[in-house]
Amino acid sequence: MTAEVQKYTLAQVEALELAPGTEHENLEGWVPTLATDDDLRQALEKALDYRGDVTLTLKSGERIEAFIFNCHTGATLAESWVQYYTPSAPEKRRVGYAQITRIEFSGKDRAAGKHWEDWVKKYNERKAAGETNIALAPEALE
Amino acid sequence: MSIPLSQMATVASYVLKKRFTGVKRYPLVLMLEPLFRCSLACAGCGKVQYPPHILKKQLTPEECFAAVEECGAPMVSIPGGEPLLHPQIVEIVNGLVARKKYIYLCTNALELKKKLPEFSPSKYLTFSVHLDGQREHHDFSVCREGGYDIAVEGIQEAVRRGFRVTTNATFFDGTDPNSVRAFFDEVMGMGVEGVVLSPGYSYDKAPDQNRFMGRARVRRLFRAILSNRKPTWKFNMSPLFLEFLMGDRNYECTPWGMPAYNIFGWQKPCYLLQEGYAESYKELLATTNWDNYGVASGNPKCANCMVSCGYETTAVIDGFGSLKGFLAMVRGTFSSYRDPHAQKLLNDFASHQAAPHKNLVQIEQPERVPEEINA
Repeated sequence: MTAEVQKYTLAQVEALELAPGTEHENLEGWVPTLATDDDLRQALEKALDYRGDVTLTLKSGERIEAFIFNCHTGATLAESWVQYYTPSAPEKRRVGYAQITRIEFSGKDRAAGKHWEDWVKKYNERKAAGETNIALAPEALE
Repeated sequence: MSIPLSQMATVASYVLKKRFTGVKRYPLVLMLEPLFRCSLACAGCGKVQYPPHILKKQLTPEECFAAVEECGAPMVSIPGGEPLLHPQIVEIVNGLVARKKYIYLCTNALELKKKLPEFSPSKYLTFSVHLDGQREHHDFSVCREGGYDIAVEGIQEAVRRGFRVTTNATFFDGTDPNSVRAFFDEVMGMGVEGVVLSPGYSYDKAPDQNRFMGRARVRRLFRAILSNRKPTWKFNMSPLFLEFLMGDRNYECTPWGMPAYNIFGWQKPCYLLQEGYAESYKELLATTNWDNYGVASGNPKCANCMVSCGYETTAVIDGFGSLKGFLAMVRGTFSSYRDPHAQKLLNDFASHQAAPHKNLVQIEQPERVPEEINA
Protein backbone atom coordinates (compact mmCIF):
# COMPACT_ATOMS: atom_id res chain seq x y z
CA MET A 1 0.00 0.00 0.00
CA THR A 2 1.41 3.38 -0.96
CA ALA A 3 1.50 6.39 1.35
CA GLU A 4 -1.03 8.23 -0.84
CA VAL A 5 -3.83 5.77 -0.07
CA GLN A 6 -6.43 7.42 2.12
CA LYS A 7 -6.88 5.50 5.33
CA TYR A 8 -10.07 5.07 7.32
CA THR A 9 -10.46 5.80 10.99
CA LEU A 10 -12.00 3.07 13.14
CA ALA A 11 -15.15 5.15 13.60
CA GLN A 12 -15.53 5.52 9.83
CA VAL A 13 -15.08 1.80 9.30
CA GLU A 14 -17.58 0.81 11.95
CA ALA A 15 -20.22 3.15 10.53
CA LEU A 16 -19.92 1.90 6.93
CA GLU A 17 -23.29 0.92 5.50
CA LEU A 18 -21.97 -0.10 2.11
CA ALA A 19 -18.37 -0.85 1.18
CA PRO A 20 -17.02 1.51 -1.46
CA GLY A 21 -15.12 -1.30 -3.19
CA THR A 22 -12.39 -0.95 -5.79
CA GLU A 23 -12.77 0.68 -9.20
CA HIS A 24 -11.50 -1.79 -11.77
CA GLU A 25 -10.02 -0.17 -14.87
CA ASN A 26 -10.67 -1.49 -18.33
CA LEU A 27 -7.12 -2.44 -19.29
CA GLU A 28 -7.67 -4.95 -22.08
CA GLY A 29 -5.66 -3.86 -25.12
CA TRP A 30 -3.80 -1.13 -23.23
CA VAL A 31 -0.15 -0.48 -24.08
CA PRO A 32 1.26 1.91 -21.48
CA THR A 33 3.95 4.43 -22.34
CA LEU A 34 7.06 3.51 -20.37
CA ALA A 35 8.99 6.78 -20.38
CA THR A 36 10.24 6.60 -16.80
CA ASP A 37 11.01 4.01 -14.13
CA ASP A 38 7.81 5.01 -12.34
CA ASP A 39 5.78 4.38 -15.50
CA LEU A 40 7.18 0.86 -15.62
CA ARG A 41 6.54 0.22 -11.93
CA GLN A 42 2.96 1.45 -12.17
CA ALA A 43 2.24 -0.55 -15.33
CA LEU A 44 3.57 -3.72 -13.68
CA GLU A 45 1.42 -3.08 -10.61
CA LYS A 46 -1.61 -2.91 -12.90
CA ALA A 47 -0.42 -6.07 -14.67
CA LEU A 48 -0.32 -7.81 -11.28
CA ASP A 49 -3.99 -6.93 -10.75
CA TYR A 50 -5.01 -7.77 -14.32
CA ARG A 51 -7.03 -10.98 -14.76
CA GLY A 52 -5.56 -11.84 -18.14
CA ASP A 53 -2.25 -12.41 -19.86
CA VAL A 54 0.09 -9.60 -20.83
CA THR A 55 2.86 -9.64 -23.43
CA LEU A 56 6.27 -8.47 -22.21
CA THR A 57 8.95 -7.37 -24.67
CA LEU A 58 12.48 -7.62 -23.28
CA LYS A 59 15.60 -5.66 -24.17
CA SER A 60 16.82 -8.79 -25.94
CA GLY A 61 13.83 -8.54 -28.28
CA GLU A 62 12.22 -11.65 -26.80
CA ARG A 63 8.42 -11.46 -26.39
CA ILE A 64 6.84 -13.35 -23.51
CA GLU A 65 3.15 -14.06 -23.06
CA ALA A 66 2.75 -14.06 -19.29
CA PHE A 67 0.24 -14.21 -16.47
CA ILE A 68 1.92 -12.06 -13.83
CA PHE A 69 1.09 -13.07 -10.27
CA ASN A 70 3.89 -11.62 -8.18
CA CYS A 71 5.94 -8.43 -8.14
CA HIS A 72 8.99 -7.92 -5.95
CA THR A 73 9.76 -4.23 -5.82
CA GLY A 74 13.23 -3.25 -4.69
CA ALA A 75 14.82 0.18 -4.44
CA THR A 76 15.97 0.10 -8.06
CA LEU A 77 14.72 -1.59 -11.22
CA ALA A 78 17.75 -3.88 -11.05
CA GLU A 79 16.53 -5.15 -7.65
CA SER A 80 12.92 -5.64 -8.80
CA TRP A 81 11.35 -8.58 -10.62
CA VAL A 82 8.03 -10.06 -11.65
CA GLN A 83 7.03 -13.70 -11.42
CA TYR A 84 4.79 -15.24 -14.05
CA TYR A 85 3.42 -18.34 -15.75
CA THR A 86 3.41 -18.71 -19.52
CA PRO A 87 0.83 -20.79 -21.39
CA SER A 88 3.54 -23.11 -22.69
CA ALA A 89 5.68 -23.95 -19.63
CA PRO A 90 4.71 -25.68 -16.40
CA GLU A 91 7.11 -23.86 -14.07
CA LYS A 92 7.06 -20.38 -12.51
CA ARG A 93 9.45 -17.95 -14.14
CA ARG A 94 10.77 -14.51 -13.25
CA VAL A 95 12.22 -11.55 -15.11
CA GLY A 96 13.81 -8.34 -13.84
CA TYR A 97 12.05 -5.01 -14.26
CA ALA A 98 15.20 -3.67 -15.89
CA GLN A 99 14.85 -6.15 -18.76
CA ILE A 100 11.33 -5.07 -19.73
CA THR A 101 10.87 -2.47 -22.47
CA ARG A 102 7.20 -2.88 -23.39
CA ILE A 103 4.01 -4.24 -21.81
CA GLU A 104 0.83 -5.03 -23.73
CA PHE A 105 -2.35 -6.00 -21.94
CA SER A 106 -2.89 -8.44 -24.77
CA GLY A 107 -4.96 -11.22 -23.20
CA LYS A 108 -8.69 -11.21 -22.56
CA ASP A 109 -9.72 -9.68 -19.23
CA ARG A 110 -11.29 -12.73 -17.57
CA ALA A 111 -13.12 -10.61 -14.98
CA ALA A 112 -14.89 -8.44 -17.55
CA GLY A 113 -18.64 -8.96 -17.87
CA LYS A 114 -18.77 -11.04 -14.67
CA HIS A 115 -20.78 -8.55 -12.61
CA TRP A 116 -23.92 -9.45 -10.72
CA GLU A 117 -25.91 -7.02 -12.87
CA ASP A 118 -24.68 -8.83 -16.02
CA TRP A 119 -26.09 -12.09 -14.64
CA VAL A 120 -29.42 -10.54 -13.61
CA LYS A 121 -29.80 -9.01 -17.10
CA LYS A 122 -28.96 -12.32 -18.83
CA TYR A 123 -31.28 -14.23 -16.53
CA ASN A 124 -34.23 -11.92 -17.18
CA GLU A 125 -33.68 -12.04 -20.94
CA ARG A 126 -33.47 -15.82 -21.03
CA LYS A 127 -36.43 -16.20 -18.70
CA ALA A 128 -38.51 -13.87 -20.88
CA ALA A 129 -37.55 -16.00 -23.88
CA GLY A 130 -39.10 -19.02 -22.15
CA GLU A 131 -35.82 -20.77 -21.33
CA THR A 132 -35.67 -23.17 -18.39
CA ASN A 133 -32.73 -24.50 -16.36
CA ILE A 134 -30.97 -21.19 -16.85
CA ALA A 135 -27.32 -21.21 -15.85
CA LEU A 136 -24.00 -19.57 -16.53
CA ALA A 137 -21.37 -22.06 -17.62
CA PRO A 138 -17.64 -21.75 -16.97
CA GLU A 139 -15.65 -20.71 -20.04
CA ALA A 140 -14.07 -23.50 -22.08
CA LEU A 141 -10.44 -24.19 -21.22
CA GLU A 142 -9.29 -24.68 -24.81
CA MET B 1 -21.39 -25.39 18.54
CA SER B 2 -21.37 -28.69 16.67
CA ILE B 3 -17.64 -29.32 16.45
CA PRO B 4 -16.64 -32.75 17.87
CA LEU B 5 -14.75 -32.82 21.17
CA SER B 6 -11.67 -34.46 19.65
CA GLN B 7 -11.31 -31.62 17.16
CA MET B 8 -11.84 -28.99 19.85
CA ALA B 9 -9.26 -30.68 22.07
CA THR B 10 -6.73 -30.73 19.21
CA VAL B 11 -7.25 -27.06 18.47
CA ALA B 12 -7.25 -26.07 22.14
CA SER B 13 -4.00 -27.88 22.88
CA TYR B 14 -2.43 -26.38 19.73
CA VAL B 15 -3.41 -22.82 20.73
CA LEU B 16 -2.28 -23.30 24.33
CA LYS B 17 1.05 -24.78 23.21
CA LYS B 18 1.70 -21.78 20.99
CA ARG B 19 0.72 -19.44 23.80
CA PHE B 20 2.95 -21.10 26.39
CA THR B 21 5.91 -21.24 24.01
CA GLY B 22 5.52 -17.55 23.20
CA VAL B 23 4.80 -17.96 19.48
CA LYS B 24 3.12 -14.75 18.39
CA ARG B 25 2.12 -15.56 14.83
CA TYR B 26 1.01 -19.04 13.81
CA PRO B 27 -1.49 -20.63 11.45
CA LEU B 28 -4.73 -22.22 12.63
CA VAL B 29 -6.24 -23.29 9.32
CA LEU B 30 -4.38 -23.75 6.04
CA MET B 31 -6.50 -22.63 3.09
CA LEU B 32 -5.22 -25.10 0.53
CA GLU B 33 -6.38 -24.24 -2.99
CA PRO B 34 -5.32 -27.16 -5.17
CA LEU B 35 -6.77 -25.58 -8.32
CA PHE B 36 -8.83 -22.59 -9.46
CA ARG B 37 -10.96 -24.47 -11.99
CA CYS B 38 -14.66 -24.55 -11.08
CA SER B 39 -17.82 -26.15 -12.43
CA LEU B 40 -19.87 -23.08 -11.55
CA ALA B 41 -19.57 -19.56 -12.97
CA CYS B 42 -20.94 -17.49 -10.08
CA ALA B 43 -21.29 -13.82 -11.01
CA GLY B 44 -18.96 -11.67 -8.97
CA CYS B 45 -16.66 -14.50 -7.88
CA GLY B 46 -13.06 -13.29 -7.82
CA LYS B 47 -11.48 -16.69 -7.25
CA VAL B 48 -11.75 -18.26 -10.69
CA GLN B 49 -11.23 -15.41 -13.16
CA TYR B 50 -8.02 -16.62 -14.78
CA PRO B 51 -6.82 -17.46 -18.29
CA PRO B 52 -7.29 -21.11 -19.31
CA HIS B 53 -3.61 -22.03 -18.85
CA ILE B 54 -3.86 -20.99 -15.19
CA LEU B 55 -7.16 -22.81 -14.70
CA LYS B 56 -5.57 -25.99 -16.04
CA LYS B 57 -2.77 -25.91 -13.47
CA GLN B 58 -3.11 -27.75 -10.18
CA LEU B 59 -1.05 -28.60 -7.14
CA THR B 60 0.34 -32.12 -6.92
CA PRO B 61 -0.42 -34.17 -3.79
CA GLU B 62 3.26 -33.82 -2.83
CA GLU B 63 3.05 -30.01 -3.03
CA CYS B 64 -0.08 -30.11 -0.86
CA PHE B 65 1.57 -32.31 1.75
CA ALA B 66 4.70 -30.16 1.82
CA ALA B 67 2.62 -27.02 2.43
CA VAL B 68 0.62 -28.72 5.19
CA GLU B 69 3.75 -29.98 6.89
CA GLU B 70 5.59 -26.69 6.63
CA CYS B 71 2.89 -24.54 8.17
CA GLY B 72 1.76 -27.13 10.75
CA ALA B 73 -1.84 -25.92 11.11
CA PRO B 74 -4.12 -28.51 12.74
CA MET B 75 -6.94 -27.82 10.28
CA VAL B 76 -6.94 -27.65 6.48
CA SER B 77 -9.69 -26.10 4.44
CA ILE B 78 -9.70 -27.10 0.78
CA PRO B 79 -11.51 -24.48 -1.25
CA GLY B 80 -10.79 -23.55 -4.84
CA GLY B 81 -12.08 -23.63 -7.57
CA GLU B 82 -13.93 -26.87 -7.11
CA PRO B 83 -11.65 -29.37 -5.36
CA LEU B 84 -13.62 -32.38 -6.60
CA LEU B 85 -12.46 -31.53 -10.15
CA HIS B 86 -8.87 -32.27 -9.09
CA PRO B 87 -8.03 -35.75 -10.47
CA GLN B 88 -5.98 -36.61 -7.35
CA ILE B 89 -8.25 -35.11 -4.72
CA VAL B 90 -8.85 -38.49 -3.06
CA GLU B 91 -5.09 -39.02 -2.73
CA ILE B 92 -4.71 -35.51 -1.29
CA VAL B 93 -7.50 -36.04 1.24
CA ASN B 94 -6.23 -39.47 2.25
CA GLY B 95 -2.73 -38.05 2.74
CA LEU B 96 -4.06 -35.30 4.99
CA VAL B 97 -6.20 -37.73 6.99
CA ALA B 98 -3.08 -39.88 7.47
CA ARG B 99 -1.39 -36.75 8.87
CA LYS B 100 -4.34 -36.34 11.29
CA LYS B 101 -5.37 -32.97 9.91
CA TYR B 102 -9.00 -31.91 10.28
CA ILE B 103 -10.07 -31.24 6.70
CA TYR B 104 -12.96 -29.14 5.42
CA LEU B 105 -13.37 -29.98 1.75
CA CYS B 106 -15.40 -27.07 0.37
CA THR B 107 -17.51 -28.14 -2.57
CA ASN B 108 -20.43 -26.93 -4.66
CA ALA B 109 -21.51 -30.59 -4.50
CA LEU B 110 -22.32 -30.87 -8.20
CA GLU B 111 -20.01 -33.90 -8.33
CA LEU B 112 -20.31 -34.97 -4.70
CA LYS B 113 -22.76 -37.85 -5.06
CA LYS B 114 -20.73 -39.37 -7.87
CA LYS B 115 -17.41 -38.99 -6.06
CA LEU B 116 -18.48 -40.13 -2.58
CA PRO B 117 -17.72 -43.86 -3.07
CA GLU B 118 -14.05 -42.93 -3.56
CA PHE B 119 -13.80 -41.36 -0.08
CA SER B 120 -13.88 -43.04 3.34
CA PRO B 121 -15.73 -41.49 6.28
CA SER B 122 -13.38 -40.19 8.95
CA LYS B 123 -13.59 -37.85 11.92
CA TYR B 124 -10.90 -35.86 10.12
CA LEU B 125 -12.90 -35.30 6.92
CA THR B 126 -15.85 -32.91 6.57
CA PHE B 127 -17.58 -32.04 3.33
CA SER B 128 -18.44 -28.35 3.57
CA VAL B 129 -21.13 -27.85 0.96
CA HIS B 130 -21.68 -24.41 -0.53
CA LEU B 131 -25.35 -23.51 -0.05
CA ASP B 132 -26.14 -19.81 -0.05
CA GLY B 133 -29.68 -20.08 1.26
CA GLN B 134 -33.01 -21.56 0.29
CA ARG B 135 -33.48 -23.04 -3.20
CA GLU B 136 -34.31 -19.83 -5.06
CA HIS B 137 -31.62 -17.80 -3.29
CA HIS B 138 -28.91 -20.40 -3.77
CA ASP B 139 -29.69 -21.02 -7.43
CA PHE B 140 -29.66 -17.32 -8.16
CA SER B 141 -26.49 -16.81 -6.12
CA VAL B 142 -24.53 -19.51 -7.98
CA CYS B 143 -26.11 -18.63 -11.34
CA ARG B 144 -27.48 -22.09 -11.92
CA GLU B 145 -31.09 -23.20 -11.71
CA GLY B 146 -31.26 -26.66 -10.20
CA GLY B 147 -27.96 -26.24 -8.35
CA TYR B 148 -29.64 -26.41 -4.94
CA ASP B 149 -31.35 -29.72 -5.64
CA ILE B 150 -28.12 -31.34 -6.85
CA ALA B 151 -26.23 -30.08 -3.79
CA VAL B 152 -28.94 -31.33 -1.42
CA GLU B 153 -28.85 -34.75 -3.07
CA GLY B 154 -25.09 -34.82 -2.46
CA ILE B 155 -25.53 -33.75 1.15
CA GLN B 156 -28.13 -36.42 1.82
CA GLU B 157 -25.99 -39.15 0.28
CA ALA B 158 -22.94 -38.01 2.24
CA VAL B 159 -24.93 -38.01 5.50
CA ARG B 160 -26.32 -41.45 4.64
CA ARG B 161 -22.81 -42.79 4.11
CA GLY B 162 -21.67 -41.50 7.51
CA PHE B 163 -19.56 -38.52 6.46
CA ARG B 164 -19.31 -35.34 8.46
CA VAL B 165 -21.16 -32.65 6.49
CA THR B 166 -21.62 -28.94 7.03
CA THR B 167 -23.03 -26.26 4.78
CA ASN B 168 -21.31 -22.96 4.12
CA ALA B 169 -23.07 -19.80 3.06
CA THR B 170 -22.04 -16.27 2.17
CA PHE B 171 -24.59 -13.50 2.58
CA PHE B 172 -24.59 -10.28 0.59
CA ASP B 173 -26.47 -7.01 0.66
CA GLY B 174 -30.19 -7.65 0.23
CA THR B 175 -30.25 -10.92 2.18
CA ASP B 176 -33.62 -11.67 3.79
CA PRO B 177 -32.92 -12.71 7.42
CA ASN B 178 -36.22 -14.62 7.69
CA SER B 179 -35.28 -16.70 4.68
CA VAL B 180 -31.87 -17.42 6.19
CA ARG B 181 -33.51 -18.65 9.39
CA ALA B 182 -35.85 -20.89 7.39
CA PHE B 183 -32.75 -22.12 5.54
CA PHE B 184 -31.17 -23.11 8.87
CA ASP B 185 -34.27 -25.23 9.60
CA GLU B 186 -33.98 -26.88 6.19
CA VAL B 187 -30.31 -27.81 6.40
CA MET B 188 -30.48 -29.02 9.98
CA GLY B 189 -33.34 -31.25 8.82
CA MET B 190 -30.96 -32.80 6.28
CA GLY B 191 -28.84 -34.13 9.14
CA VAL B 192 -25.81 -31.93 8.68
CA GLU B 193 -23.42 -31.43 11.59
CA GLY B 194 -23.70 -27.66 11.48
CA VAL B 195 -23.83 -24.49 9.46
CA VAL B 196 -20.95 -22.22 8.48
CA LEU B 197 -21.71 -18.68 7.42
CA SER B 198 -19.94 -15.49 6.49
CA PRO B 199 -20.74 -12.01 5.26
CA GLY B 200 -19.57 -11.15 1.76
CA TYR B 201 -16.54 -8.94 1.47
CA SER B 202 -15.57 -6.63 -1.40
CA TYR B 203 -12.10 -8.09 -1.82
CA ASP B 204 -10.07 -6.38 -4.46
CA LYS B 205 -10.20 -9.19 -7.02
CA ALA B 206 -13.97 -9.60 -7.05
CA PRO B 207 -15.31 -8.21 -10.35
CA ASP B 208 -18.45 -7.02 -8.57
CA GLN B 209 -17.70 -4.32 -6.02
CA ASN B 210 -21.06 -2.82 -5.15
CA ARG B 211 -23.06 -5.58 -3.46
CA PHE B 212 -21.04 -5.70 -0.28
CA MET B 213 -22.27 -4.57 3.11
CA GLY B 214 -20.28 -2.28 5.34
CA ARG B 215 -19.64 -3.32 8.92
CA ALA B 216 -22.66 -1.52 10.36
CA ARG B 217 -25.01 -3.31 7.98
CA VAL B 218 -23.30 -6.69 8.50
CA ARG B 219 -23.85 -6.41 12.24
CA ARG B 220 -27.53 -5.56 11.89
CA LEU B 221 -28.12 -8.39 9.45
CA PHE B 222 -26.38 -11.00 11.59
CA ARG B 223 -28.07 -9.74 14.75
CA ALA B 224 -31.40 -10.34 13.04
CA ILE B 225 -30.33 -13.77 11.78
CA LEU B 226 -28.53 -15.11 14.84
CA SER B 227 -30.58 -13.78 17.77
CA ASN B 228 -33.42 -15.92 19.19
CA ARG B 229 -31.85 -19.13 17.93
CA LYS B 230 -33.73 -22.38 17.76
CA PRO B 231 -32.20 -25.23 19.80
CA THR B 232 -32.00 -27.36 16.66
CA TRP B 233 -29.57 -24.98 14.95
CA LYS B 234 -25.90 -25.92 15.19
CA PHE B 235 -23.01 -23.83 13.95
CA ASN B 236 -19.67 -25.28 12.99
CA MET B 237 -17.95 -22.09 14.03
CA SER B 238 -16.65 -20.35 17.11
CA PRO B 239 -19.57 -18.86 19.10
CA LEU B 240 -17.36 -15.86 19.75
CA PHE B 241 -16.98 -15.24 16.02
CA LEU B 242 -20.77 -15.30 15.68
CA GLU B 243 -20.99 -12.76 18.51
CA PHE B 244 -18.48 -10.65 16.58
CA LEU B 245 -20.74 -10.76 13.52
CA MET B 246 -23.72 -9.77 15.70
CA GLY B 247 -21.84 -6.77 17.04
CA ASP B 248 -21.30 -8.06 20.57
CA ARG B 249 -17.51 -8.21 20.26
CA ASN B 250 -14.75 -6.19 18.69
CA TYR B 251 -11.90 -8.19 17.23
CA GLU B 252 -8.83 -7.38 15.19
CA CYS B 253 -7.90 -9.37 12.13
CA THR B 254 -5.39 -12.23 12.35
CA PRO B 255 -4.42 -12.38 8.66
CA TRP B 256 -1.64 -14.94 9.17
CA GLY B 257 -4.04 -17.33 10.95
CA MET B 258 -5.60 -18.81 7.82
CA PRO B 259 -2.86 -18.59 5.19
CA ALA B 260 -3.62 -19.55 1.59
CA TYR B 261 -1.40 -21.78 -0.52
CA ASN B 262 -2.03 -22.36 -4.21
CA ILE B 263 -0.25 -22.77 -7.56
CA PHE B 264 1.31 -19.32 -7.17
CA GLY B 265 2.75 -19.97 -3.68
CA TRP B 266 1.86 -18.58 -0.23
CA GLN B 267 -0.53 -15.70 -0.79
CA LYS B 268 0.20 -12.27 0.73
CA PRO B 269 -1.29 -11.18 3.04
CA CYS B 270 -4.36 -13.40 3.37
CA TYR B 271 -6.86 -15.67 1.67
CA LEU B 272 -8.79 -12.85 0.00
CA LEU B 273 -6.27 -10.11 -0.68
CA GLN B 274 -3.73 -11.02 -3.33
CA GLU B 275 -0.74 -8.73 -3.16
CA GLY B 276 2.02 -11.15 -4.05
CA TYR B 277 3.37 -14.54 -3.08
CA ALA B 278 6.06 -16.09 -0.91
CA GLU B 279 7.84 -19.37 -1.51
CA SER B 280 7.30 -20.60 2.06
CA TYR B 281 5.08 -19.90 5.06
CA LYS B 282 8.18 -18.77 6.91
CA GLU B 283 8.91 -16.25 4.15
CA LEU B 284 5.26 -15.13 4.17
CA LEU B 285 5.49 -14.37 7.90
CA ALA B 286 8.86 -12.64 7.58
CA THR B 287 8.23 -10.50 4.49
CA THR B 288 4.64 -9.31 4.94
CA ASN B 289 4.13 -5.94 6.61
CA TRP B 290 1.25 -7.06 8.82
CA ASP B 291 0.67 -3.55 10.20
CA ASN B 292 -0.82 -2.65 6.80
CA TYR B 293 -3.77 -5.02 7.20
CA GLY B 294 -6.83 -5.46 9.35
CA VAL B 295 -9.44 -2.93 10.30
CA ALA B 296 -7.17 -1.06 12.71
CA SER B 297 -4.70 -0.36 9.91
CA GLY B 298 -7.19 1.93 8.19
CA ASN B 299 -6.42 0.14 4.91
CA PRO B 300 -9.51 0.73 2.74
CA LYS B 301 -9.11 -2.77 1.30
CA CYS B 302 -9.82 -4.16 4.78
CA ALA B 303 -12.57 -1.68 5.66
CA ASN B 304 -15.62 -3.92 5.36
CA CYS B 305 -13.97 -7.26 6.02
CA MET B 306 -15.54 -9.35 8.78
CA VAL B 307 -14.92 -12.72 7.19
CA SER B 308 -13.87 -15.83 9.02
CA CYS B 309 -10.43 -16.13 7.39
CA GLY B 310 -9.37 -12.98 9.24
CA TYR B 311 -11.53 -12.84 12.32
CA GLU B 312 -12.49 -16.37 13.28
CA THR B 313 -8.88 -17.14 14.10
CA THR B 314 -8.93 -14.23 16.54
CA ALA B 315 -12.13 -15.59 18.08
CA VAL B 316 -10.73 -19.13 18.37
CA ILE B 317 -7.51 -17.89 19.97
CA ASP B 318 -9.60 -15.79 22.34
CA GLY B 319 -11.82 -18.77 23.20
CA PHE B 320 -9.04 -21.27 23.83
CA GLY B 321 -6.35 -18.87 24.97
CA SER B 322 -7.89 -17.57 28.20
CA LEU B 323 -10.29 -18.71 30.91
CA LYS B 324 -12.52 -15.69 30.28
CA GLY B 325 -12.67 -16.50 26.59
CA PHE B 326 -13.33 -20.17 27.25
CA LEU B 327 -16.20 -19.41 29.61
CA ALA B 328 -17.67 -16.99 27.05
CA MET B 329 -17.43 -19.73 24.44
CA VAL B 330 -19.22 -22.23 26.67
CA ARG B 331 -21.89 -19.65 27.48
CA GLY B 332 -22.31 -18.88 23.77
CA THR B 333 -22.63 -22.55 22.88
CA PHE B 334 -25.70 -22.93 25.05
CA SER B 335 -27.28 -19.50 24.64
CA SER B 336 -30.26 -18.78 22.38
CA TYR B 337 -29.29 -15.08 22.32
CA ARG B 338 -32.80 -14.04 23.19
CA ASP B 339 -33.45 -10.53 21.90
CA PRO B 340 -37.04 -9.23 21.62
CA HIS B 341 -35.85 -6.26 19.60
CA ALA B 342 -34.30 -8.52 16.94
CA GLN B 343 -37.53 -10.57 16.86
CA LYS B 344 -39.57 -7.44 16.28
CA LEU B 345 -37.26 -6.47 13.45
CA LEU B 346 -37.68 -9.87 11.84
CA ASN B 347 -41.44 -9.52 12.09
CA ASP B 348 -41.27 -6.05 10.58
CA PHE B 349 -39.13 -7.35 7.77
CA ALA B 350 -41.59 -10.16 7.04
CA SER B 351 -44.51 -7.75 6.91
CA HIS B 352 -42.71 -5.61 4.35
CA GLN B 353 -42.11 -8.54 1.97
CA ALA B 354 -39.92 -7.10 -0.74
CA ALA B 355 -39.29 -8.62 -4.16
CA PRO B 356 -36.87 -11.56 -4.07
CA HIS B 357 -33.19 -10.58 -4.32
CA LYS B 358 -33.98 -6.89 -3.96
CA ASN B 359 -34.92 -6.83 -0.30
CA LEU B 360 -32.51 -4.70 1.66
CA VAL B 361 -32.30 -5.32 5.36
CA GLN B 362 -33.44 -2.27 7.25
CA ILE B 363 -32.74 -2.92 10.87
CA GLU B 364 -32.01 -0.41 13.60
CA GLN B 365 -28.81 -0.18 15.62
CA PRO B 366 -28.36 -2.90 18.23
CA GLU B 367 -29.08 -2.09 21.86
CA ARG B 368 -26.37 -4.32 23.31
CA VAL B 369 -22.99 -2.70 23.80
CA PRO B 370 -20.05 -4.49 22.13
CA GLU B 371 -17.61 -6.09 24.54
CA GLU B 372 -14.05 -4.90 24.01
CA ILE B 373 -11.72 -7.83 23.52
CA ASN B 374 -8.00 -7.73 22.96
CA ALA B 375 -7.17 -11.16 21.69
